[in-house]
Amino acid sequence: MSAKVQSPGPTPKMALVVHSDLSVISNFQSALSEKGYVTIVARDLPTALLAVTQHYFEIAIVSSRLEEGGDGWPLAGVLHLVFPRAFVAVISPTEPDVLTLQSAINYGVREVYQQSMPSPEIVGAILAQVETAPATRPSRKPRVQ
Amino acid sequence: MQLWSANILSTLGIYLVSMVRKRSLLLVDDESSILQTLRLVFENEGYAVITADSCAQALEILANGHKFDAVVTDLNMEKEDIGLEVARAALRLKPKPAVVICTGFASVTNSRAALDLGVDYMAHKPVELQGLIAALNRLLARRDRGVRA
Repeated sequence: MSAKVQSPGPTPKMALVVHSDLSVISNFQSALSEKGYVTIVARDLPTALLAVTQHYFEIAIVSSRLEEGGDGWPLAGVLHLVFPRAFVAVISPTEPDVLTLQSAINYGVREVYQQSMPSPEIVGAILAQVETAPATRPSRKPRVQ
Repeated sequence: MQLWSANILSTLGIYLVSMVRKRSLLLVDDESSILQTLRLVFENEGYAVITADSCAQALEILANGHKFDAVVTDLNMEKEDIGLEVARAALRLKPKPAVVICTGFASVTNSRAALDLGVDYMAHKPVELQGLIAALNRLLARRDRGVRA
């Protein structure tokens, strides 16, 4: 009996957007979609954590404030731990200060963007950095039937 | 089941390697009391420690082909923010060590520079030792698993 190797085909690039504001989520979703990313969205921590268990993300964009100020940071840290090669960005409502920048370093966040910056610009800036140092994903082995 | 066994063996292997080989650490600070205290602390944690009391000395050590698992540097030494030069040189090494900056003079400018460089951890002086040790151990455990620290 001979084994037949089947190519799994291209895997879609995945992005996660976690923000409590639906309009912000929608703007990111369309900006990422234009660049060929399939976007999973979450408005709270439990939904975001559920998504983490089900997908592999190349990009994660997380609000620093989900339900309370600063509670997005630990989630960003978790995303960096689970997807170490992903580009994890945090959206901050204010201009990043010393503590914000240090939180970014210590949680493994690659960049902090101000919420006032338009979503397509943020996505463009992220992709420019991702393309400079391409994120690698776990290789998907061909299935043997 | 086989995958599960392979994962256990791999984890055990990493653990045994880290037990046999001492992790190497370059400590850089121009205050000798801090340098000696951190040296004692990290040697006690099982690290092989090399110290440098200036940025210039650290850059010389890094240029001489020494390999380090981690580099912990002060920020203000000969000049303000010159520790960023140590971090920059360390981050060019292959394999890349975990790079930690300790400072009592953090600003938006130097924190932004550290983030852009890809520094792995920034600690405030006076350094909370248990926090620093835990952060370094966590970064090195990830590095051992082949993930960018």
